[in-house]
Parts: sequence; structure tokens; C-alpha cells
Amino acid sequence: MTNEIFKSLSEILPQITGFIYPNEIEIHWGMLIVVYPYITGVVAGAFILASLVKVFNVKEVQPLYRLSLLTALSYLLVAPLPLLSHLGHPERSYEMFLTPQPSSAMAMFGFVYAWYLMAVLLLEIWFVYRTDLIAWAESESGPMKWIHKVLSLFSKDRSEGALAFDHKALKTITIVGIPSAFLLHGYVGFIFGSIKANPWWSSVLIPIVFLFSAIVSGVALVILLYMVITPLTGGKINMKCVDKAVDFLFYAVIVDFSLELVDFIHRVYQSEEEIKILSEMVMNKLFMSLVIIQVLLGMILPLGIISVTKIFKRRFSLNEDLRKMLYFISVLLIQFGIFATRWNVVIGGQMFSKSFRGLTTYKMEIGGIEGLLYALVLLVLPIVILTVLLKILPPWKEMKGEGNGKELTGEAPLGGMHAPEA
Amino acid sequence: MKKILERMPDALARLLVVFIGLAVAGAFVVIVLIPKPLKDVKIQWADAVKREQAKPVKYAGFHACAECHDKIYDKKKTGYHRDLSCETCHGPAKAHTEDPDKVKPVIPQERAFCPQCHAYNPSRPRGFPQINPVAHNPLKPCASCHNPHDPKPPTTPKECSACHGEIARTKAVSHHVQLECTVCHQAPQQHKISPRSVKPTKPQTREFCGKCHAKDAKDKLARNAPRIDLANHGEKYVCWQCHYPHSPEVE
Repeated sequence: MTNEIFKSLSEILPQITGFIYPNEIEIHWGMLIVVYPYITGVVAGAFILASLVKVFNVKEVQPLYRLSLLTALSYLLVAPLPLLSHLGHPERSYEMFLTPQPSSAMAMFGFVYAWYLMAVLLLEIWFVYRTDLIAWAESESGPMKWIHKVLSLFSKDRSEGALAFDHKALKTITIVGIPSAFLLHGYVGFIFGSIKANPWWSSVLIPIVFLFSAIVSGVALVILLYMVITPLTGGKINMKCVDKAVDFLFYAVIVDFSLELVDFIHRVYQSEEEIKILSEMVMNKLFMSLVIIQVLLGMILPLGIISVTKIFKRRFSLNEDLRKMLYFISVLLIQFGIFATRWNVVIGGQMFSKSFRGLTTYKMEIGGIEGLLYALVLLVLPIVILTVLLKILPPWKEMKGEGNGKELTGEAPLGGMHAPEA
Repeated sequence: MKKILERMPDALARLLVVFIGLAVAGAFVVIVLIPKPLKDVKIQWADAVKREQAKPVKYAGFHACAECHDKIYDKKKTGYHRDLSCETCHGPAKAHTEDPDKVKPVIPQERAFCPQCHAYNPSRPRGFPQINPVAHNPLKPCASCHNPHDPKPPTTPKECSACHGEIARTKAVSHHVQLECTVCHQAPQQHKISPRSVKPTKPQTREFCGKCHAKDAKDKLARNAPRIDLANHGEKYVCWQCHYPHSPEVE
């Protein structure tokens, strides 16, 4: 054990610059804590996109509605895993609910999470799919019939009154859901923003910046998934919908970018005692992940690409394939950019010494519970869950409805991924 | 009750059943399945108290020491180590109080012991006596100069070598062995009390070294010193920017 410590220390020590305190050599919040805000951000962002349809009546993005709800759910199911793995003893996590500790923001996560999962997301998905579940359960046979029957809670009511109630309930849940989604990711930002001893984190702007970067990452991810899944299932991408969604993404990126810029200018103008070490960190240790990936590749370049498609609208409106490709590149770049944002916040906040006189370094492990491979598993897991959810709760009717120019029914053969026996 | 259920939308009733089911299941887990000691703090406390009580007592406490070692106790009471218990340095002494002849507490003598608290560490409070164990009177046991039962505040070191041992040893085998430190450095009295805020002087002019090393130097000590022409040697640099005065090179 001691030898292992010496070995890892001897690798890190030459990387340290200036003076740091002994307990600052090792970075404790590693890769898993980077993955955690990224995943919860996707949840909040995807839900906000879904609420565009229900609350703000943006009809163009209707094909993304169910996909974004399912995306939010599959990412939400994975959201606590990095925390549980990082803390260890997952079997004790229920104690958070038995002994609520309102003065600890971290201990409140269980409640924020449970509220969002049980009172918002599951309820909304259930109401959205209720009538479809009944229809599927009636027309199918075998295990699928029973799965859908159980999921519909054995309800059979498809009367006018029931549909009207569904509609009303959905609207209410979405209206409650928007502040809840803000709460979920604002909470994650608050955890960092409220640490007053750490000048890289301690800022009232952090929860808001987190929120907008969450919207950016969620919307971009749903667009990305839509552009990948639709062709895979034999559908045609509805460009009207993608155009509108990218519109919203564009404005969200601009707001996110300006907020981060405000934060940056504020820090530089205030020039408090930490500014020297922070600027040294940004220019050396975080240069690649912050300046290059987060700002240049993750924000300015996609903003530029989308702006070009907007400025030369007439020219691009003729060429759908080119527009598709440009959008695809933009949303992909934004994903990397937002992941880099999470990295810079979490890792950056631990890289400089509290003495403001030195910098340590982060040595990522490959294997092990805190390692790269496990983090990759956590990042892929939501996609696996989403695949299962897409099989159980196929959203194709809605996704392809307008794309093919004709309304498909829920019982029709569903593009290769799900073909229930007629 | 039946009327309310009938008037309720079908979907809502089903959801209510699920939520009530979940609440009941949760309550069942919490109330029935989780064993009481896991939930009740009082039981945990009682267990912890029992566990602690079962442990053997190792420490006697400084009052026990005072009964026999009253002189040392009185001395320590007024010194800077008054807040340290005897057993902090001498180790657990319960066994010694029970059988004073057979069991003797340790007397820490190795040099590594005192630096646990007194080695220089920037995170220690300012003014706390700290030394560099490598440079501070190497090999001498701490107790040979300091009485641990009544340590004095850092007394003014008589010689610079108390702190600057490495330089002193280097100089001792160099050509400058005959020179006192004060020939070149003026150390204000305050430097000995707060060495980091008040620093001794360093020669700032070429003429200072020139007193011995210039062509026309008249200093008696400098009879055999190497001579140079100050006017055309080393341009504008001060001498110690090229030559290390504590161990000047042989010509």
C-alpha cells in the first residue's frame, strides 16, 4: 500500500509547480465527478426541450418530444451511479432518506433526485404513453403484451374524458417540471458555487451557467440522437424540426457563452488575490481543455457554423444534406465542449493550491472504480438504457409522423427495431 | 369513499394506488426490515460506550505523574510545554504507575522526535519555534541544549551556524575560513528573532570585496589574497554574482 502511494506520488511530484499543501497533491474529485454533472445536465436539457412542445406549443419540435423524455429518463437513471461509485457503500445510500439533513446541500440530492424522477419524469412519460400502452397491450401477444399491460397499470380507459384528463395532467406536470429541471441542475451548480473557500467555484453565477450549459448539452444530445436514430430505423429526418431545435440550441449557446463571458470578465476585473494562480492554471494546465476544446471547438466553432447556415439561409435551404452535416458536426462539437466544461470546473477547481502559490496535476487512472474505462461505461450506459426504453416505449409514431408526410399508427411495423406481432 | 374513487379519473386512481403502494413498501422496509440498531441512535451510543469501556486503560493522566515527579511537574507547569501532557512524550504510563520499578516510560532521545512538532513547516503558526532539522546543530540530541520540561523561547543564537550550518561548514574548509560572518554581513538584532522578515545585509559594491582583492588593497588580512584590477575585471557585476564567497574558487 505504502509503496503504491510512493509510486503514484513519484509520478505526480515532478508535475507540481510552485508551492502546494501536502494534502493537495492528489485530486479527490476525479473523472466520476466530471461525468456526474454532465449526465444530470443532459437530463435537465432534454426535459427543457420536451417542455418546449407542451408548455410553449412549439409544434415543429413535436417529433423530438418523446425521444427527449426517454433520453432524460435514461440519463436520469444513470445520474446517481457516479456518485454512488465514488462514495462507496451504495448499500447505505438509503440512510440519506431516513435521516434527512437539510443543512447539507449534498445530503439533499436524494430528495431532489427522487422528486424529479418520481413526481416529474416518470409521471409525464406515463401520461404521454398511457393510451399507446393500452393500444399496444390490446394488439400484442407474448411478453410484450404483459410488459405494456403492467406499464399501463392495467388501465383501459380511452374515453374522451380520460384523454382530456391526460392532457391536463401533462400540462400541469410539465409546468411543475420546468422549475424541477432547473432545480435538479441548478442544485448541481449550487454544490460547486457554494464552496466559498474555492474561488474557481465560488460564484453565484455558477448555478445559472450550469443550467444554460445543461440546456445546451441536453438539446444538442437529443438532436444528435434524433439524427442518428431516425436513419437507423429507416425514417427520414424531419429538417423543419431539426432547424427549429437548432434555432433553440443556437440561442441557448449564445446565452451560455455570454454568461460564461460575464463570469470571466467579472473575475478579471475584480482581480482578487487568486487571479494570478487562476490565469496561470488556465494558460498552462487547462489550456487544451478550456481554451481549445471548451471555448474554441465547443462554442465558437459551432456558433460560427450555425450562424453561417442562418446568414446564408437561402443558399443552405436548398441543400438539406449539407445542412444536416453541418448541424451534426455542431451538436457533436457541443457535446465535447460541454463535457470539457464539466472537466474544467471539477478538475480545475482542485488543481490550484489554496495557498494560491502552486498547481498540482490530475493523473487519471485507466482501470479501477475511479478510472477512465469505468467513466466510459457510465457514459455509454444511458445509451444502452435508451435502446431498451425505445424497444419498450417506441416513439416512432411521433418521430416519423411528420418526416414521412403521413401519420403512422402505433401498431404499424416499427422500422426494424421493434416489430410487434400483428 | 367509493363515490370519491368513482368520480376520480381512472388514471389518477391507478397512480394513487401505485404511489400508496410505494409508500407502504417504503414504510415496511424502514419500519420492519431494517433492524432497530441500524436506526436507533441510542442503541448505537450504548453499544459504543460498552465497546469503549471494554478497552484496557493505558494512560494514567498527568495528575498521577505529579504524585511522584512533583518537581518536574511544577517546573513544566510554568513553561511553554505546560499544555502538553507528560504522556504525550513519554508514552502511556498506566503500567508504570502500577509497578514503577519494573515498567519504565520511554524517554525520547532520538533527534527525529522533537521535529515532529518543531520542524519548519509553512502551515505552522507564525512565531511557533521551528527549525530545519538538517541544518540545526546536526547530530546533537535536542535535550543537550533545550530542557524539554522548561523549553525557553528561541534564545538568540550565539553563532550564525546555529541556523546557517551548511554555510558555516562550507566556509570552514574554504579560503574565507578566517573571516567572521560579520565582516561581510550586518545582522540586525531583530533578525535573530524574526529571521524571515528582517534579513542581514549583503555587500552591494565591488569596492567592498576590493578592500582585500583590489590591486592596491591594504588590509592586513589580505596579504595572500588574489588581486584583480577593479577597473577592468568583471564589468558592472557585483563580485558575488560570479564568485561564491562562502567557498571562493582556488585561482
